[in-house]
Amino acid sequence: MAVQTFLFASLIIFSSSIESNHGATEVSLFTNLENSLEVTATRVGVVLEAGKDMVRITWMLKSSAKVDDDAAFKTVEVKLCYAPISQVDRPWRKTHNELSRDRSCPHKIVSKPYDNIPQSLNWTIDRETPTGTYFVRVYGIGVNGQEVAYGQSSDAEKTTNLFSVEGISGGHTSLDIASICFSVFSFGSLLVFLVKEKRKAKLQQRK
Amino acid sequence: MASNEEGSIGTSLHGVTAREQVFSFSVDSSSQTLQSDDPTAKFALPVDSQHRAKVFKPLSFAKPHMRAFHLGWISFFTCFISTFAAAPLVPIIRDNLDLTKTDVGNAGVASVSGAIFSRLAMGAVCDLLGARYGTAFSLMLTAPTVFSMSFVTGPVGYLAVRFMIGFCLATFVSCQYWTSVMFNGKIIGLVNGCAGGWGDMGGGVTQLLMPMVFQVIRLAGTTPVMAWRIAFFIPGFLQVVVGVLVLTLGQDLPDGNLSTLQKSGQVSKDKFSKVFWFAVKNYRTWILFVLYGFSMGIELTINNVISGYFFDRFNLELQTAGIVAASFGMANFFARPFGGYASDLAARLFGMRGRLWILWIFQTVGALFCIWLGRASSLPIAILAMMLFSVGTQAACGALFGVAPFVSRRSLGLISGLTGAGGNFGSGLTQLLFFSTSRFSTADGLSLMGAMAVLCTVPVAFIHFPQWGSMFLRPSSDGERSKEEYYYSSEWTEEEKRQGLHEGSIKFAENSRSERSRKVALADFPTPETGTPTHV
Repeated sequence: MAVQTFLFASLIIFSSSIESNHGATEVSLFTNLENSLEVTATRVGVVLEAGKDMVRITWMLKSSAKVDDDAAFKTVEVKLCYAPISQVDRPWRKTHNELSRDRSCPHKIVSKPYDNIPQSLNWTIDRETPTGTYFVRVYGIGVNGQEVAYGQSSDAEKTTNLFSVEGISGGHTSLDIASICFSVFSFGSLLVFLVKEKRKAKLQQRK
Repeated sequence: MASNEEGSIGTSLHGVTAREQVFSFSVDSSSQTLQSDDPTAKFALPVDSQHRAKVFKPLSFAKPHMRAFHLGWISFFTCFISTFAAAPLVPIIRDNLDLTKTDVGNAGVASVSGAIFSRLAMGAVCDLLGARYGTAFSLMLTAPTVFSMSFVTGPVGYLAVRFMIGFCLATFVSCQYWTSVMFNGKIIGLVNGCAGGWGDMGGGVTQLLMPMVFQVIRLAGTTPVMAWRIAFFIPGFLQVVVGVLVLTLGQDLPDGNLSTLQKSGQVSKDKFSKVFWFAVKNYRTWILFVLYGFSMGIELTINNVISGYFFDRFNLELQTAGIVAASFGMANFFARPFGGYASDLAARLFGMRGRLWILWIFQTVGALFCIWLGRASSLPIAILAMMLFSVGTQAACGALFGVAPFVSRRSLGLISGLTGAGGNFGSGLTQLLFFSTSRFSTADGLSLMGAMAVLCTVPVAFIHFPQWGSMFLRPSSDGERSKEEYYYSSEWTEEEKRQGLHEGSIKFAENSRSERSRKVALADFPTPETGTPTHV
């Protein structure tokens, strides 16, 4: 029992150290961000295949945006975000105002330095992108590493200009064949044993 | 003259004249051949009159008792790995198959529901065909379903495959049945607790194993969505290997395999309808059904939801969430045997009444900690609550199987099956109510499940044995009904008793006198003549 007590205690200590650290003194909220970027995402076709099809993303500072020292940013992070329809009944993709707890934009497309001129990117959808409906959001990252501004390719309710991605299935013929072979082996060996034992029992009975 | 040494009180004179018939649960080969002087000499461990081992040596692999024990728990362990293999990989699977929380929850319900039926069927299979075949069928007929995860493309396929894989949890029944025919009643709590506990550990090991296997396969260069499918080949392959071992190395009964013994006339077959009727008629079976539903049932539910809970709520990595989740299942290594041992200890001091109290205490305490787990919002507190919850609930499972072997002798297999089915039923119910909809957060679901478990543990107070009493009532003072023989022979009709078919139950009744409390056992030692009036 001493060993178990020790393991138990170390598990508690271990867990205190792995808890995710919300060390930032200031919590970054989505509602505090300036919508100062104009983002477009155009695609060819209705449903895009992950790993194959492309989306053209452009972003630039809005002409109407007044950029003061606080909202000035030198880097942008382009992210792929889930549209509300892909968040229904999926609490692991929930939108949260506190950006560090927000789970709606988990897929990073690119992170680039920004210097006030319009930028664009032809992005081939990452092979590991799951099936879903998405839009593109660009965050402006300030000097302290936190988001200060954003822009997105959809409207505020995230209903327009969405695109669907079809993820890869992960299946393969070789897997299917291996699966069938192992299954046949399993059935077969059971049958062989049954037959062998029945014969042995019959022999015993004759004796 | 009489002492508390097992087997000496009321020792029957069975087997001496070699003219008695012997039956399914008691095989006495000395009655067929008068050659060997001491038929128990060929066993590596000391045995009782039914050739069941009186001593438990976990580090030994001696035929047939310890070997049966090890094969039994390893089979059950492997099946637990397969049934819950999907759980730690759900974060990957849910994106690959585009599942909603409802889909994931329903598949979790399905994964434990199949076993409700297969555990019932397994009880009958063990009674009629023997534990070895029961185990082997379960392992080798469900291995193909584990392999078929590679074909799944959406929520329907995922649910169907998890449902089919879940059938293999029937090995629980065959494992417990196997140990119950191999080990004596005095140590059965500990033995069943170890077998059950070490088997249940599979639910914890899988939370570690599958993410690790997944990671290794990913390092070999595959995408995550292919890697998780390949990972399923590991549990499937394990099942096949263990199935082969069971068939080649195992033995149904202490004296041989069932079919050989039946064909040579040493063991007679019982009628399924009778076995079924006496199991179903006994109200204690149904109380155990509910009780197990809220000890093992919630344990199975936790195996399905806890990894995802730590991943989502505390933002842990897949492997880290797996480690934390694994420690829940791993506690089974000592918690369930501890429950069985505590049950046996309580029986030595207070008889069956002690066993019932221990069961109630462990299960209620475990459920209270489950409520706390749902309320905990910091990681260390959540882990502490989870560990205490795991020990309480798993010890309760062990304690319950200290009681179950005494509920019936004739229908032992079916009662194990029904109780086991109750575990799965409880799991399906709790997952359906609390974890399949967006109505409750997972945290609230955990607390509500704990509260329901506290309520559903109260029925243990109603289990009453006329010969031993219950939690709040003394044993019957009636001379006839207070004898163990009366209780166990009431499962046979008069006609069957005339044919002497119930003699195995009588033997068991004598050996079960250990369930009287210490004071009562010392005060009353029946002589052989009154103990077994119809023989000799």
